[in-house]
Amino acid sequence: MKATVGILSCLFILLAASPVRAHHAFAAEFDAKNCADVTGVLTKVAYENPHAYLFMDVKSANGQTEEATFQLSSTSNLRRGGATPAVLNASLQKEVLIRGCASRNGEKNRYAASFIKLADGTVQRLGQDVEGIFGTKIWR
Amino acid sequence: MGRHIALILAAVALAAPAFAQTEDSGERNKTFVEARGSVKPVPLPPGGPPPRMADGHVDFSGVWFGGPTGKANAWSVVPDEPLKQDPIPFKPEVAAKIKSMTRAELELGSAQVTCRPLGVPGMWTNNPYPHQIVMKPNLFIHLIESNNNWRVVRIPRQHKPKEEQELLYMGDTASRWEGDTLVLETINVYPDTWIQGNGWYRSEQAKVTERLRRPSMNYLEYQFSVEDPEVLTKPWTSAWRTYSLSVNNEDLTENFCTNNENVEQFLKLAEQERAKQAK
Repeated sequence: MKATVGILSCLFILLAASPVRAHHAFAAEFDAKNCADVTGVLTKVAYENPHAYLFMDVKSANGQTEEATFQLSSTSNLRRGGATPAVLNASLQKEVLIRGCASRNGEKNRYAASFIKLADGTVQRLGQDVEGIFGTKIWR
Repeated sequence: MGRHIALILAAVALAAPAFAQTEDSGERNKTFVEARGSVKPVPLPPGGPPPRMADGHVDFSGVWFGGPTGKANAWSVVPDEPLKQDPIPFKPEVAAKIKSMTRAELELGSAQVTCRPLGVPGMWTNNPYPHQIVMKPNLFIHLIESNNNWRVVRIPRQHKPKEEQELLYMGDTASRWEGDTLVLETINVYPDTWIQGNGWYRSEQAKVTERLRRPSMNYLEYQFSVEDPEVLTKPWTSAWRTYSLSVNNEDLTENFCTNNENVEQFLKLAEQERAKQAK
């Protein structure tokens, strides 16, 4: 037990000296209290900086197809976290689920994504953990 | 006791679905999602003494990540803790100006958001991506992934003569060794490169003194001080920040800011926020 406390204390001290900063503050642009699972067909992967984007065709309540846009993290974070272009492109034209938080400026169907359930069923991180669903909560 | 907690956590994890099909934000907060990309923070060991160059000075060369893990930790499963350092002694009028900025305006002032050069110390303080340092005796080269910014400083070096001084994004840096610590003093940085991404703007008179040291093979430490009589009531010095050597011998990747939609988004938001304040 003492050893565990010691290890955790060392870890805390090290982490205290290492804040992680994102490209920009999520909370300034997106509403972390207005998030939903969005399901549809992945139509485009734009692997660009400062943020990558995914595009999805979703069915609206009246049966119309609408395009939803998801802002992801940077390509640097995506590559290092395993969401390479190849991994994302493998789900093109297939049904996926993306966890998205809505844009604060009222733009319809514009979201920030935290994860995707790919067509093969694997769950891949895409962005900040604003809802605390990965064991932490990053609120900026 | 520890085993009991571990068993309870394991049982909860097994009982929880990977994720539910549809939930509102409130429900989602209660469900842990197992996902590829999440990083568990395991600190590197010190790794022995730091390497030295032919001239006997410590060699900082390597690819460095913020934090102790030796890899990208943007998606760490442990929350960040704030640095333990003194409050920034802003002059009252500066503090009031920063406080009056809306969230969108704060974002629009950040070089990281608008993709301008990050400046000094922004290459360290406003940069979530890895650094590569290349050193030779008498030369310090700092490359970062954020918009592929770079900086080269000869060691030792004096400031330019007064008649040749000009404002630059990376400023004019004088350098020297103090034992095993490299000291970089930078003046004449464009005021639109903030000291940090929290609205801390600078005047043309700002002087930034950076200190770098490598206490062991796997760790690099960075500290900066700011003197800016137009913005601060007295000089301020940061806490030492920890960086760790890439465990996978990673390279920096290409990261040019070519599709910045955020500026347009934040301009819309700034307009909305000001209209709200005016009501």
